[in-house]
Amino acid sequence: MKSIRKIASMAVLGVATFAYAGTALAQTELDFWSWRQEDVKAYNEIIAAFEEQNPDIKVTFTAHEATSYNTILTTALAGGAGPDIMHTRSYGSLEAIAAPGYLEPLDGQIDLSALSADELLGTTLRADGHVYAVPFASQTIVVFYNKDLFEEHDVALPETWDEFLAASQKFKDAGVIPLANGLADAWTMEIMSGAFLPNFYGKDFFGEVTSGATDFEDERFVNALEKFSTLKEFMPQGYEGVDYATMKQLFNVGQAAMFVGGSFDIPTFVNAGVNFDIMPGPAAEAGGPRMVATWLDGGYGVNAASENKEAALKFIQFTATQPFAQMLTDKLANVPAVDGAEISDPMLAKVSAMHEEATPYIMLVAFRFNTPTGSTLLQNGLQELFTGKKSAEEVAADISEGIKSAE
Amino acid sequence: MAQLTKSIKTPFDNAVVRRRQMRKLWLAFLLFPAMAILLTFVFLPMASAIWYSVYEWDGLVRGEFIGLGNFQEVLFDPRNNKFLINAFFNNVKVFIALMVFQNGLALILALFLAREPKGYRFYQIAFFLPVILSTVIIGFQWKLFLNPIFGLVNTLLRNVGLGDWAVPWLGLPETALGAMILVNAWHWVGFPTLVFLAAIHRIPKDLIEAARLDGASEWMIARDIIWPLMAPAVTIIVVLTFIGSFNWFEIPYIMGGLEGSPSYSTDMLGLLFYRTAFGSVSAGNSDFGTGSALAVLIFIFIFTFSTIATRYLTSREVELS
Amino acid sequence: MATIELRDVTKDFGGVQVIHGANLSVQDNEFVVFVGPSGCGKSTLLRLLSGLEELSSGEIYIDGERIDHLPPARRGLAMVFQSYALYPHMNVLQNMSYALKVAKKSKQEIEEKVHAAAEILQLTELLDRKPKALSGGQRQRVAIGRAIVRDPSVFLFDEPLSNLDAKLRVQMRLELTNLHKQLQSTMIYVTHDQVEAMTMADKIVVMRAGNIEQVGPPLELFNKPANKFVAGFIGSPAMNFFHGQVVGVNNATYEVKLENGAQFTFTAQNSNLAEGDEVDLGVRPEDLQPGTGGHGTMAGTATAVERLGAQTYVYLRSPIEESMIIHHAGDLDVQSGEQIDVSFDLKSCHLFGPDEQRIEFEG
Ligand SMILES: Nc1ncnc2c1ncn2[C@@H]1O[C@H](COP(=O)(O)OP(=O)(O)OP(=O)(O)O)[C@@H](O)[C@H]1O
Ligand SMILES: [Mg+2]
Repeated sequence: MKSIRKIASMAVLGVATFAYAGTALAQTELDFWSWRQEDVKAYNEIIAAFEEQNPDIKVTFTAHEATSYNTILTTALAGGAGPDIMHTRSYGSLEAIAAPGYLEPLDGQIDLSALSADELLGTTLRADGHVYAVPFASQTIVVFYNKDLFEEHDVALPETWDEFLAASQKFKDAGVIPLANGLADAWTMEIMSGAFLPNFYGKDFFGEVTSGATDFEDERFVNALEKFSTLKEFMPQGYEGVDYATMKQLFNVGQAAMFVGGSFDIPTFVNAGVNFDIMPGPAAEAGGPRMVATWLDGGYGVNAASENKEAALKFIQFTATQPFAQMLTDKLANVPAVDGAEISDPMLAKVSAMHEEATPYIMLVAFRFNTPTGSTLLQNGLQELFTGKKSAEEVAADISEGIKSAE
Repeated sequence: MAQLTKSIKTPFDNAVVRRRQMRKLWLAFLLFPAMAILLTFVFLPMASAIWYSVYEWDGLVRGEFIGLGNFQEVLFDPRNNKFLINAFFNNVKVFIALMVFQNGLALILALFLAREPKGYRFYQIAFFLPVILSTVIIGFQWKLFLNPIFGLVNTLLRNVGLGDWAVPWLGLPETALGAMILVNAWHWVGFPTLVFLAAIHRIPKDLIEAARLDGASEWMIARDIIWPLMAPAVTIIVVLTFIGSFNWFEIPYIMGGLEGSPSYSTDMLGLLFYRTAFGSVSAGNSDFGTGSALAVLIFIFIFTFSTIATRYLTSREVELS
Repeated sequence: MATIELRDVTKDFGGVQVIHGANLSVQDNEFVVFVGPSGCGKSTLLRLLSGLEELSSGEIYIDGERIDHLPPARRGLAMVFQSYALYPHMNVLQNMSYALKVAKKSKQEIEEKVHAAAEILQLTELLDRKPKALSGGQRQRVAIGRAIVRDPSVFLFDEPLSNLDAKLRVQMRLELTNLHKQLQSTMIYVTHDQVEAMTMADKIVVMRAGNIEQVGPPLELFNKPANKFVAGFIGSPAMNFFHGQVVGVNNATYEVKLENGAQFTFTAQNSNLAEGDEVDLGVRPEDLQPGTGGHGTMAGTATAVERLGAQTYVYLRSPIEESMIIHHAGDLDVQSGEQIDVSFDLKSCHLFGPDEQRIEFEG
């Protein structure tokens, strides 16, 4: 039962501590912060490649705990400190540090020609139109499936919603959990919705709802929620209490036939040795589109208060080039945002190919700028929908109202 | 007369004065570390929270002075106060439930242990052991135990034929908070037990024997003699439970996440504060202003009520002569 | 209002026996005092009676009814603790009425009884005070009052006056004696105080190490102690003992030589003393006379003299390192370090055989 005061004091202390960071030597030293604790080794290799070409620059990579990274970073920046270069999140979270002027605008200072306008959107501040970070990788929502189980139970790969339900029923009858997903970690529900909702609400909805032409009480969205909610009978028994770790475990050990997750889950299942493949979510009707929801994971930014801005920009320029993108996909199994990389990993190549029919991961891309965020509203709404506490109409109305109330 | 005696200073008086000064110095010396810690870790953050709370914040940049604007936003903006009210009543539920289940059980255990049944030393240690474990470990451990599929609890229920009871405890809005409260009770019950037991042991045996001779049953002895005489311990436990309940953070954070999953049924003031002040991956950006205002309000509430409660509860205490 | 009967009562705590088969009869309306050295089992015996401890074996009867299996409250006795054991959170009125409340007596009855008891004990003014605001003597009276209201057939007191100062003790002693007369109930009273025992008791029970050594009226115990222990325990200052040996036996006539040289003969009809047997001669300090004469004379050096005017105590040490005390009525001009003779008269002496039991004899 730690007191709130303690947390507040931590914040104050943090500010004080970070006030004395970073000193310059003959060799320019750059601090590089990230939340990717699992990627430290790969980043050090990438950095080594950079340092070979730039012997006058030394980069130190520090990875913080992922869930508290935003807090740590923003607290440091607010105190006028922080690293020279940093991993930033995208969209709303980027705005939180770009808007107060903590980040150096990059357009005009470095060459961003290897990035598409779509990708740059995730690191552009809407207010001034400047780019504040080099996008590094995109994430994609896919349906993982266990090839052995599909074969063993003689289930054909579903392409439409009806086929998806039929396949799930077949697994259920055979005593296999059709879908590993659960409700306990609310963000996994938002992810899961990304595989199903877009194909129901269609291609145009995103543009209309972001422009204000319609809202979330739109019939298409309500219908999508309605359909989506029928999946609860194919989720594990006690799915209300199944968290992310349990979901992965169910899929890892072959108790569940499918797992709806992000492309970031690929390494986990590869490492676990599951014989799996991925597919996009089902089409609403035969012949309909099978869109995948994608979003930009984040980017690399420069601290506007850095004393080594020149060196920092040099490194950031490096991240916007093809050789960097190549290393990113080779060493970290990412789908890089920068064009021109050869994706050797077959699974990633598949993800990349799915981008042919991509749709923005709606709440993260468009509604995470204000409070309450679309993600919070959708996650909570989905929990209520799947526990039967509220109907699709009610959930849609809550989301719509919440979005409208956000400043 | 009084003036007269006062004006005459004897060597004895001087010695007394010197001794008093020494005493004061000693007190200051002994109090210094505690005061320094209090200043750095309590008053300073408190002051900064109050300071922060009266400014507009754009993310992390301090804007202009807006007086009580943040407080107004926390208390009266329907987007915020919906969460505030929900979290507040969840904290109230936690307090009541902990009073009844955790402290009630502790009282029963203490009364049981006070009779020194066979092997009571073992029980005493067994009940107290979880208290020394870290909350984080206990939170994760119980999250595993309560896992709907692999968890120990549901496995046991199914094995004893109570499969219908094997619900996803942490996944249902009806059971999640209760499960967390029970985990907290499991973790902490040893502490009030020990405090109560010490209080019972402090009651002279004669009093209990006198009551027994007066014809009181065991229940009457507990109600009429032991209970009133352990009032100081009850005061301490009630106030600590109150503060703990309204600052409850670790267990709900670990077991239900920052958003009080499922559906805010385990949301607490502490979680709400954390989300508001520091933001979260999905809940959005940090807002030091409203966050600090919330922290100040929580502090004022806890401070006021624990002071009133302490006053009231202390008034019913008696010294054991 | 009640008779008490203990039969072969034993008690052990975790295998250690502390009461070894006590037998005792207490008459109706009797005031019985338990005395004995610390740790001899007085409190334990009282607690066994009250039901706060369970018997290990034996039986207890009150008014002929066996009560040792009954819970404390149903034995019809009340106990007053040395510590008073007043409920600190209740005022005097509540303290005194608690037992009646527990017994579900009517409000009116409670009121009447408490006020009657308060009247007797002069507590009426203090009824709404908490124990903390009372003096020691007042607390003692409340403790007694708490016992009285229950109309017990037997009162048990465990050293009730030992926390009071000397003056208050004398006063409370008299009050208790009066109370006993007034209430006409059986009382059992534990004390360390000789004077309390001698003045209050109808009957004294002397205990030693878990055994009852002798039971009887105070003066009987004083005049005819059944054994050397009782003889030494009752009376203050304690009896002087002189060790000796039987040196001659002739029919019922015996000759004894004490270690300090005194020699005397006596006749005892029912004695089986033999030559060589060790005996003790007991002489109370007031029966030792300064000067020679009587049935024997011994010498000693005064090590301390207490001259109080009306009486004089002389502490003597004999050449064989025996110590003795003389209690002389009136003044006696003896200086410390002075050598004096003392003599005794066999008529006022007590004789104890090798088994330390009393021997009846004629000088
Ligand atoms: N609960 C107990 N457990 C073990 N031994 C006990 C217990 N109560 C008393 N005794 C032992 O029994 C013996 C008698 O104790 P008791 O208190 O009856 O003595 P007492 O005659 O009242 O002494 P005092 O004059 O000091 O009050 C002692 O040796 C004591 O140590
Ligand atoms: Mg005793």
